[in-house]
Amino acid sequence: MIVVNNTMDINEDDEQLGETSEEDNSELSDGELQDAFAKGLLKPGLNFTTQEPKKIVNNVEGLKQCLADFRKNTLPWVERLDMVNLPADDIVAKSEGRLDNKASGDLNPDDDFQREMFFYRQAQAAVLEAMPRLQKLKIATKRPEDYFAEMAKSDQQMQKIRKKLIMKQTMMEKSEKAKKLREQRKYGKKVQVEVIQKRQKEKKAMMSAVKKYQKGMTDKLDFLEGDQKTAKGGAPAKGGAGKGAGGQTPDKKAMNKKGPNAKRKYKDQRFGFGGKKSGTKWNTKDSHNDVSGFRAKVAHGKGGKGGKGGKAGPGGKGGRGPAKGGTKRPGKNARKKMKGRS
Amino acid sequence: MSALKRKRGGKGPGGKAKKVKLVENGNKPQTTETKQNKEISVPAPVSMGKWRNKERVLVFSSRGINFRTRHLMQDLRTMMPHTKADTKMDRKDKLFVINEVCEIKNCNKCIFFEAKKKQDLYMWVANVPHGPSAKFLVQNVHTLAELKMTGNCLKGSRPLLSFDPQFDKEPHYALLKELFIQTFSTPQYHPRSQPFVDHVFTFTVTDNRIWFRNYQIIEEDASMVEIGPRFVLNLIKIFQGSFGGPTLFENPHFESPNTHRRLIRMATASKLREKQMVKELQKLKRTENKEEVTRDVTDDVFATPAEERPVHIELEAPAAKVVKKNKHKAFKRQRMQKR
Repeated sequence: MIVVNNTMDINEDDEQLGETSEEDNSELSDGELQDAFAKGLLKPGLNFTTQEPKKIVNNVEGLKQCLADFRKNTLPWVERLDMVNLPADDIVAKSEGRLDNKASGDLNPDDDFQREMFFYRQAQAAVLEAMPRLQKLKIATKRPEDYFAEMAKSDQQMQKIRKKLIMKQTMMEKSEKAKKLREQRKYGKKVQVEVIQKRQKEKKAMMSAVKKYQKGMTDKLDFLEGDQKTAKGGAPAKGGAGKGAGGQTPDKKAMNKKGPNAKRKYKDQRFGFGGKKSGTKWNTKDSHNDVSGFRAKVAHGKGGKGGKGGKAGPGGKGGRGPAKGGTKRPGKNARKKMKGRS
Repeated sequence: MSALKRKRGGKGPGGKAKKVKLVENGNKPQTTETKQNKEISVPAPVSMGKWRNKERVLVFSSRGINFRTRHLMQDLRTMMPHTKADTKMDRKDKLFVINEVCEIKNCNKCIFFEAKKKQDLYMWVANVPHGPSAKFLVQNVHTLAELKMTGNCLKGSRPLLSFDPQFDKEPHYALLKELFIQTFSTPQYHPRSQPFVDHVFTFTVTDNRIWFRNYQIIEEDASMVEIGPRFVLNLIKIFQGSFGGPTLFENPHFESPNTHRRLIRMATASKLREKQMVKELQKLKRTENKEEVTRDVTDDVFATPAEERPVHIELEAPAAKVVKKNKHKAFKRQRMQKR
């Protein structure tokens, strides 16, 4: 009776099945099965077909023998340049106080960064160990500056790489800038909204206080002084409390006290005195009473009355008035020239 | 260092004065024109006659490889100047034909790439006449041309090989280590090699696989950049002979790509099957005869010991409530004054 090692397409674990009788070939005839039963190879009950556990070849002696044959012992190290080393110390992990696991067995292959850093450090350790040995053997690792030779990657390729790196960097910078700008705008908007709200609150409070007074519910007029009190009382109290919306208001009041903005000042300086434009050249009581611009000589004039107090008009203009040398104000053209020069 | 480049396909050491090969990006060495005679002769390099270690590796592939494999092969040929190329082998030929091909090309090592189903890539590394050979499944291939690998090295410079200590612990890894050393290290004074050592190959064992990386040495203090290529080798078997012979070692952790795909398909199929089974069960439950429950088990939950009040049904609507407006409040002004 041949007990055949049959590999049917059932991938069942052998350990689960307790049957020791195995490998029933379906082509075995009944007679053969009966014989096997009689002999005791088959036990009663339902017999499953199982696979023999797969024998994994690990011929250690063979491997060692092969290695001994294969190894070229005549080769000096300089021909092979091989090193066996653990990775170099992980400076970052040490500074953080973590224990670095040195063996490659502990390495989690799915953690890409950790894995690549492990390989990197292994290469580093190899280089550090190999440098003195190579120097002893007078093999250079640094090529001199004027040594030009073909490189593994062409110049074109290196240009592409460089371009990509630069592009990455610029994109990062751009996104950083955009983020900052967004943050600033958000913050500015927030502050603006707060200030507006505060103003509205104050206005509301003021109006209600006024109404109360009007309706006769309160006869104290402290709401008029209320602003000053709260400003003074609020500034030392809130200054201690810290920054934020509360801290803004005393600052703002202080700024208002200092006068207009630097920007405002500059614009005033440049474009003249801003503010009300329409009524500035009208006489007020003070300007009417102000007689400082009166020059007796000019008023009474030298000869004819061509000055301020006298007749204006075509007569004066036709005769070109009094001597030009008397007047201090230069003519229009002269004035234009002066203006251009300054 | 006056290592002048030799012309490719030269006669090897012991030849006469040769013409200097035109180098890219560079100035020709100055010694060409300085001779007085009419013929330009270059003195033989200093290292002539010293090339002893005659290792030659044949790198080629079968048909049906994709672009990535092709580039990987080209990259290996670039990195290792002691390699030779050959045409694609027909899949119908048996593997031991490779031994003959290597003999013809006078190579004593071979790296053979085999692509199956246009998906899986297998790599054979073999010592050709008698020695051991190993078959690997190659995964995670990244070539030199990838833009994320920014390093560069001299073409044909000699590499430093770095191995994990795990390679010394197991006999099969030790054998593989020896095989890699002999295959990947460039012989000293090889005519196509450069005399500088400026890159490192690292082999690490993690997750029962061998990870290969190639780094450029920038500074003497070991700051490095990756050059590429990079791949992962999953050992399948080690044979005593070259492309054949008795199996010395079989990797128990190896799962063939077919099995892997099958497992994934089976997993999704079984999930679906389970869902369907659950649905059917629910249907059955709905259609089967349900027994009538005569007694409610929760009947006496609300049984309170007090006696029942007689049920009184109201036939008339209840009287409407009188709503008083502002009965408590005085005028606001008065309220304020009171305060």
